[in-house]
Amino acid sequence: MIELRDVTKKFGNFTAVDNVSVRIPPGEFFGFLGPNGAGKTTTIKMMAGLFAPTSGQILINGFDVVKEPLKAKSFTSYVPDQPFLYDKLTGREFLYFIGGLYKMQKKEVTRKIEEVIGHFEIGEWVDKRTEDYSQGMRQRVTIAAALIHEPKVLIIDEPMVGLDPKSAKIVRETLHQMAGSGVSIFMSTHSLPIAEELCDRVGFIKDGRLVFVGTQTDLQAYKQKFDGKFESVFLELTK
Amino acid sequence: MSTFWHILRFKILSFLKTTFDRNAVTAVRGIGSLIVFGGFALSAYALAFAVTSYLVPRVGLAVFHHLVSMVLFVLFVAVNMGNIIVSHATLYKSAEVGYLFTKPVSFEQIFVLKFLDNFLYSSTTFFLLVFAALLGYGTYFEYSWATYAVLLIFVFTPFLFLSACIGVLVLMSLVKVASRWGFRRVVAGLAVVYVLAITLFFRFSNPIGMLENASRLQSGDESVFQLFNIPALSFLPNAIASKVLYHLSRGDIGNSVLTAALLLLGTSAIFAFVLFIGRRFYYRTWLMTFDFQAKSNTVEAGRKLKLFDFRKTSWLPAQWEVLMKKEYFLFRRDASQTIHLALMLVLVVVFALSMRNLNLRLRVTEVQTIGYLVVYSFGGFLSCSLALRFVFPSISLEGKSFWTQLSSPLNIKKVYILKFLLGALLVMLPALLVAIFSNVPFVRMSERRPLLLYFGIYSSFWTSLTLVSLNLGLGGLFANYKEKNPIRIASSQGATLTFLMSLVYLMALVSIFIIPLTEYFQSLFLFMPFEMVSIVAPGTTLYMLSAALGVFAFLIGLRSLQRDF
Repeated sequence: MIELRDVTKKFGNFTAVDNVSVRIPPGEFFGFLGPNGAGKTTTIKMMAGLFAPTSGQILINGFDVVKEPLKAKSFTSYVPDQPFLYDKLTGREFLYFIGGLYKMQKKEVTRKIEEVIGHFEIGEWVDKRTEDYSQGMRQRVTIAAALIHEPKVLIIDEPMVGLDPKSAKIVRETLHQMAGSGVSIFMSTHSLPIAEELCDRVGFIKDGRLVFVGTQTDLQAYKQKFDGKFESVFLELTK
Repeated sequence: MSTFWHILRFKILSFLKTTFDRNAVTAVRGIGSLIVFGGFALSAYALAFAVTSYLVPRVGLAVFHHLVSMVLFVLFVAVNMGNIIVSHATLYKSAEVGYLFTKPVSFEQIFVLKFLDNFLYSSTTFFLLVFAALLGYGTYFEYSWATYAVLLIFVFTPFLFLSACIGVLVLMSLVKVASRWGFRRVVAGLAVVYVLAITLFFRFSNPIGMLENASRLQSGDESVFQLFNIPALSFLPNAIASKVLYHLSRGDIGNSVLTAALLLLGTSAIFAFVLFIGRRFYYRTWLMTFDFQAKSNTVEAGRKLKLFDFRKTSWLPAQWEVLMKKEYFLFRRDASQTIHLALMLVLVVVFALSMRNLNLRLRVTEVQTIGYLVVYSFGGFLSCSLALRFVFPSISLEGKSFWTQLSSPLNIKKVYILKFLLGALLVMLPALLVAIFSNVPFVRMSERRPLLLYFGIYSSFWTSLTLVSLNLGLGGLFANYKEKNPIRIASSQGATLTFLMSLVYLMALVSIFIIPLTEYFQSLFLFMPFEMVSIVAPGTTLYMLSAALGVFAFLIGLRSLQRDF
């Protein structure tokens, strides 16, 4: 479960995230939308422990990300918008590295790595150094690494960037299955069709403020006020 | 040509905006830099003035300028090697170059832009050092401001520029030759050539022998000492630059101008040659570097599990295990790290072995005290260089991939402690080697009394730990996660600041040791009493100073890892 309570993040005088509150129960797929520079990535980075909130509280499975970061992070997997990997490691080595960070037993890591290699179809190049990978290959390895320790919470920033249609399909199905198995997913995306297809609930952020939170049903109703298109809702909420 | 000026304008604009960015961190960094650089410049000025005032009346102008020539040789080689190393990053690895090659800009213009970028980047500190030392030197001869300006513009700028030109020529030849013989082999060959060149230079112009000869001569006897008469050496840029100073110091303006013109002409000719070579080979050699990368990036997984293989089980806790293995592979697979470390270790071994055979004949307290402190400082300087090159960049080198550790259930102290321990191992072992070998001659001289050896080991131990802590801590404070090249990180403004702080720390230690060492040598040569407290007190001061600085830097570094990423 993820809970954001009045979370604010300021950079000097600039407020990037302004008093955001939202609760995502286990098994819910939450889509986080907004225009460029609205505060999506900042919110996500605070949840992942990469930024400290200026005020407010972020709880992951009941643990405060600031006060009990190690406990909170042990349930979490984070997939950044830019899949930066250690260039000199191979994809497989990177997966072992992540498994170790989550204190997994070697046998268990090896089993999970074989599983994700098969699932994401990365066996052909997983033993090459990641400096040779394309953006899509890096993205697949990063998402595979996020599943290694079977997280209870998945925080994912723009997951489909750089993926070819086949990989995108695999990722969509995987995320759907994870939500089905009780994982809370917080996904930031620009892709309106994906949000519409996958998310149980969506939130719109604009200038750091959460301007809309609703289920697919709420969204459908809202859409009817305009021309029935999700794009129009997005433009209206973020104008 | 308009494209060239257009790009240059924006590069300068970008530099100014970054340098004079109005925020608290930049302001603090600016003030810190000003204090440290200012202090360093002041020290260089005072030292140059003191050395000139001391030596000129004693050894005469000719011998003194021969010594200046030797110092300039070391400076020339340092700038040259610095340019080779940094220009590899600037000319071949910079993303900006790749971007500019996609635009309608000529290869020659890109080459000149990056060459100048490289020269200014890697020679700024040397310029400061040269200017400060020149002021100190000139104060003794009461030069006017115009003389300083002329010397700086027409002698020392071409001198440093020539060094940079040769550096880039060597680098381009290296890339070209490496395509046939392999990169590592060519770099190893180049290292041998440089070590040989330095050894031969000092063999043919032996400073100790020269000073011994000079001490037998009457002050000012210029005729007996045949300065600049070794044909092979007299046309080296350092000899020419020191000749300009020599003629000027004797009031011979005509010869001084002629010699400066020779240097200017030589530099212009070499620069023209660099432009010609750049136009013909820069783009071609740039493409070659991709081939090297492609060749080195092989499939890593084999059936046999090698040492440190991630698949191997270990007795270490999981997080420590993967962190150590990651550090190992990232270091081993980066050629710029392994080659540079090998080169520096060769230098350490050469230094240690040559120290072992040092013959200390003069039983004069002042001479031995200064000799010991010079050897000690050089050992410390080696440790400073190792720490700067390998420890300072280690946090920045986590790069953008650091998110993996920061977002995982890992206590970030583990990352910091591991980097500290690995850095300590890397710096301390060579430091202890140097301490042991450099103290052997002093132990021999003191009829096998091991006090200095113990003191050297004790001092090296604490100095190494402090330097590692300082470099790691400030490396964290000035971390640049965008820069992937360790050499550029180790030559950044923050790194220079750290290096100067390390030197200030070393100077503080040297000043602490002057009195006890003098007393110790007096006890040996003049049979004066020597109390153990004389060595215990500075030893304790060393420990306290090192511990205070080390802990302070450690905390700064650790705190810097908790900043927003």
